[in-house]
Amino acid sequence: MKKPISIKLNGSVRAVEIEPSDILLDVLREKLGVKSPKIGCERGDCGVCTVIMNGRTVRSCLVLAIEADGAAITTIEGLQADGPTPLQQSFIKNNSFQCGFCAPGMVLSATELLAKNPDPDEEEIKEAISGNLCRCTGYEPIIKAIREVARNAPKSSRGKRR
Amino acid sequence: MAIAHPFDYVKPKSLSEAIKIMAKHGDRARIIAGGTDLICLMSDGAVKPDLVVDIKGVSGLADISFKGGKLRLGALATFTDLIESKLIRDKFPVFAEMAGWVASNGVRNRATMVGNICSAVPCCDSGPILLVYDATVLTKGPKGARKIPLEKWFLGPRKTDIRRGEIVTALELAAPKKKHAACFVKLRRYKGEDLAQASVTVLAVSDNTFRIAFGSVAPKPIRGASIERRLKGFPLSEERIKQAVALVPKAVAPITDIRSTKEYRGHMVGVMLERGLRAAASRLQGKGPKYGEELI
Amino acid sequence: MSDPFKFVGTDAQRIDGVDKVTGAAQYVDDLDFGPNLLHAEIVESPHAHAEIVSINTSAAEKVPGVVKVVTGKDFPYTFGLYMQDRYIFAKDRVRFVGEQVAAVIARDPKTAKRAAALVKVKYKPLPFVLDLKEALSSHASLVHPNLANYRHVPWFFPREKTNIAHWRKTRKGDVEKGFAEADVILEDTYTVPRYAHCAIEPHVIVGLYDLAGRLTLWSASQSPYTQRNVFAEAIAPFGLTHKDVRVITPYVGGGFGGKAGVSMEILGVALALAVKGSPVKVRWTRAQEFYNTYQRQGVIAHIKLGAKRDGTITAIDHTLHWDAGAYVEYGANVVNAVGLSATGPYRVPNVKIDSLCIYTNLPPGGPYRGFGYSEFGFGLESHMNRIAQKIGMDPVAFRRKNAIKEGDTLAYGAEMNPSGLHEAIDRVAAEVEWGRKEESENPNEVIGKGFACFWKAPAMPPNAASAAFLKFNEDGSVNLTVSGMEIGQGFLTVMAQIAAEVLTVPVSKIRVELPDTDRNAYEWQTVGSHVTWGCGNAVRAAATEAREKMLETVHRALGFEKKDLYLENEMVKCRTKPDFALPFKSFVINGIQTSHGNFLGGPILASGMFMPEFTSATGDPETSQGGHPNVHYTVGAAAVKLAVDKATGKMRVLKAVLGVDVGKAINPDLVRGQVTGGLLQGFATALYEDIRYSKQGKLLNPNFTDYKIPTAKDTPVEIVPIIIEVAQPDGPFGARGVGEHTMIPTAPIIANAVEDAVGVRIKTMPVTAEKVLLALKGIDYDDVKGDTMGLCFMDKAENYKFNVGAAKGK
Repeated sequence: MKKPISIKLNGSVRAVEIEPSDILLDVLREKLGVKSPKIGCERGDCGVCTVIMNGRTVRSCLVLAIEADGAAITTIEGLQADGPTPLQQSFIKNNSFQCGFCAPGMVLSATELLAKNPDPDEEEIKEAISGNLCRCTGYEPIIKAIREVARNAPKSSRGKRR
Repeated sequence: MAIAHPFDYVKPKSLSEAIKIMAKHGDRARIIAGGTDLICLMSDGAVKPDLVVDIKGVSGLADISFKGGKLRLGALATFTDLIESKLIRDKFPVFAEMAGWVASNGVRNRATMVGNICSAVPCCDSGPILLVYDATVLTKGPKGARKIPLEKWFLGPRKTDIRRGEIVTALELAAPKKKHAACFVKLRRYKGEDLAQASVTVLAVSDNTFRIAFGSVAPKPIRGASIERRLKGFPLSEERIKQAVALVPKAVAPITDIRSTKEYRGHMVGVMLERGLRAAASRLQGKGPKYGEELI
Repeated sequence: MSDPFKFVGTDAQRIDGVDKVTGAAQYVDDLDFGPNLLHAEIVESPHAHAEIVSINTSAAEKVPGVVKVVTGKDFPYTFGLYMQDRYIFAKDRVRFVGEQVAAVIARDPKTAKRAAALVKVKYKPLPFVLDLKEALSSHASLVHPNLANYRHVPWFFPREKTNIAHWRKTRKGDVEKGFAEADVILEDTYTVPRYAHCAIEPHVIVGLYDLAGRLTLWSASQSPYTQRNVFAEAIAPFGLTHKDVRVITPYVGGGFGGKAGVSMEILGVALALAVKGSPVKVRWTRAQEFYNTYQRQGVIAHIKLGAKRDGTITAIDHTLHWDAGAYVEYGANVVNAVGLSATGPYRVPNVKIDSLCIYTNLPPGGPYRGFGYSEFGFGLESHMNRIAQKIGMDPVAFRRKNAIKEGDTLAYGAEMNPSGLHEAIDRVAAEVEWGRKEESENPNEVIGKGFACFWKAPAMPPNAASAAFLKFNEDGSVNLTVSGMEIGQGFLTVMAQIAAEVLTVPVSKIRVELPDTDRNAYEWQTVGSHVTWGCGNAVRAAATEAREKMLETVHRALGFEKKDLYLENEMVKCRTKPDFALPFKSFVINGIQTSHGNFLGGPILASGMFMPEFTSATGDPETSQGGHPNVHYTVGAAAVKLAVDKATGKMRVLKAVLGVDVGKAINPDLVRGQVTGGLLQGFATALYEDIRYSKQGKLLNPNFTDYKIPTAKDTPVEIVPIIIEVAQPDGPFGARGVGEHTMIPTAPIIANAVEDAVGVRIKTMPVTAEKVLLALKGIDYDDVKGDTMGLCFMDKAENYKFNVGAAKGK
């Protein structure tokens, strides 16, 4: 039985018809045209399906689309209104990714981290991205890029650590 | 994998509405909170409810509060809520320590402690922590409210004492009257996220009582009563620690599976108990190790 | 020493970086095919070995939304890269748990999944072989009774009426004499179980057999041209040939060998043919990724090594029995490659290697980063340590004494290429402070160090070619169309840097296009760490041809002598006329206007092709002598400083050092990326990746919950990559490949470090904390692990008999 839902996706309200058994990841990709969250394991183990839902990263393979009715969802497509963010630029400059499949999820996990904790140390960075599996890079250049953007952030954007 | 079987979905606005629905449908309906367990079960086809009941629309279920010496954890409190709660970090930091080792941030942002104990898998991390604090499971159902002590909650792997139509609303536990500190040690295959192959929780109270709970080394989380008796009333010494560790083989019943052997699990419980006892005692003195630090 | 190059040898920014970080990069599953896209669900065998008695598809066909149900009867054809032993769908019998038996094609994935559950297959179970001892016994159930009739490459030697799909024998000198000359002999057995690639992107393919009869595949593949070739051969019975088949490969989310060749992709081909006019997608779940693509084969290896008191190795007898799975069309070449090179990078005068590819009723083995060298390296480099100890010699000094040099004779008679192995050994030993015993601040821990050498050659047929097309655009930018694959290693960027160096066009103005067999030039496969070398040569040739055409055009139109012309900063300049500078963009499309007003020249196009014409696979079947099967070896050394907690067995990699001779690092940053990534992937196989099968041949952990791959928290404390450059004479700017090599030494350096730290020698992989701790307590892990297994061998290693004749009861 189809049900209409409404999601605020990357700033735009999108209405779509879904079935209760539809997974958010599949609806984002197939019905809403957002391809950056990927399908990797469909069990919440690998992190490539990560999206930001109501301000927090979630594994969209473990969310029913209907649970997202009324929610605000951000994917990396929505972060780039003014071009790649400083974090993304740091990833590009540092050659942080190889095959790139884990990149969208990593960007979002790192974005969430820096929003909560603008000056994370290496352990905190590793913890924040530990749910995003990367098979290619060994993580070093990803961690390096996040640390650089944290250290280079203007002082005014550094809030208190919660 | 798509969820192949169709189901209906409701999001009740009140607890009484939710209870009515659950009572009506019994085990044809399933509650979804964080969904991180249920969705996997449905994708595998292991569970095929006709109706999924989303209780995230019921207000007041997510609070973490401390009143009258009692900690109350709402059913919708997520593992991230535990980690970020100042109340938890100040008064019950071991809950945050445990939560930090559950899965990863994207899962913790959704998964709930109550969901964890409702799944009742032998390796659940929340069970031992709650057990060591003698927590109570609060439920509301068509026949009214119940308070179930945690040791009576787990009936076996994936089996709890929940009754038809009942919904867990919160967990409650009394803070020990004296100063206390705790330690949660989780055996994993590496530093990344992993289900517990064994876990040890130690609660040290300043009147020289210790409460010990074990996870993933029995069909359900268990207390180490014999070890608690041996330690009770004495300050922790090398000799006492040795005696406690010597009681481990009879206190736990690990199995051999693809994750670990019973020999290794059994051995590691002893090491984890030793290190956990030292850490809890040290924290009681206001010293380290920091909560969240790796001890094994 | 300043680098004479401007683009080669620099840490250029990846040209695909923006695509991947912004989400613009499209992988196969991201492509849109419209509302007509159909979805497939596969029906799989629950048995390791069984006859298919009947398949009833009627209930499935009746489900609304189902378009077609397909079985082996519709596609009774075999395929394979090096041997055609594999069926598109199991025909008559199934050979491993999970093998495809039928497929439902439907309008949406859920309908396909529901209908697939309604396909009724009746099986008659057959005796199955999971155990190598069983597989080789005289009464063994044969996985392929028809082995004698399979087509295969001429350098494979199957033994008919057995489960031995291929037996590579290498014989050099006289091992009996060599052992007689030895002062010290050491013999032992090592086992390495299967491993899974775990690329984060699962396999996926979309096929469209359009109404005009043209078949197009969009495939997540390392090998578009080889896929097209295998597809064309497989479907030749339908009257289709290469001109009717097009393979397009967008970005790939990791390969590691698992997306080389053809595994599940054949289903995209078959199902497309079944529903002419509609595109159909076959996307693997993570579980299928584990049990129905390729796995790294398991091996049990027996090494007998002899050496003189002064450390000179006199002889090696290395026998390897491989658990190769139900189909060995690709995996048999892994066995072959090892059979030629299982001496390791050492000078050994007397060599006997027997490498046997053995069928088992388990998922097919196939190419995995390292192609057998990691598998034999575990045993060999552990053994090198142990025999050095037996002689009383330092393990690094022992390796250095025997390290192979340029010109030395290889096991199969050819000569070793230039290589910096000695430099690698020395620099790695220095960096890890070899010989200095270190203490941990943690009183529970002891620190040990482990060392190993490694080498690997690309394992290719003797006619594996690369090619490149090059064209300019109006703005002076360049398109390179090649069919090497960007699987993450940085291939596109490195090709751009090579072209940039020749043409003086900056890397940012060079686009390297992903493969399309209709438009891009040929590449055999992106495997073997060879494309920097092979395709790099082709790109250099194409760029050189383009330069030549540009100079020719300027000469013809403006009269300059070609010998006085050169390129600089995207301009043609003249040594004898310093004020002459003609920008590329002024003529690379439109030509140069002469004084008479007409235009000479036109669009600058070029091509390049590289074929290693000096290789051949003509070695003697009984000795492997003769021919030149391997183009060259990349060599190196690695070491680890490891902390071991004696109470828990848990290990921490404090420092990992790896030195590799890449000939010329076209992009040092990307080389370092291979070192970091490869070391972590390798350490994972050593420390916690652990495949487990049931006694019925079912894979018990086809997921990341129970097959653990590294997270960001599992990284070594420090990694030191050391780039060594002893030029490869026939490589572009001296370059050699490096992608696989960084994994190869990881397991033995861990095992060696564990022995150094706590005195236990672990001879079976993985070397887990659990295994180490139990060993410290005097418990053999094999005695307590229960009845699941990673290697197709149920008994303990020391009970395995390598004499094939003995196993057959002779």
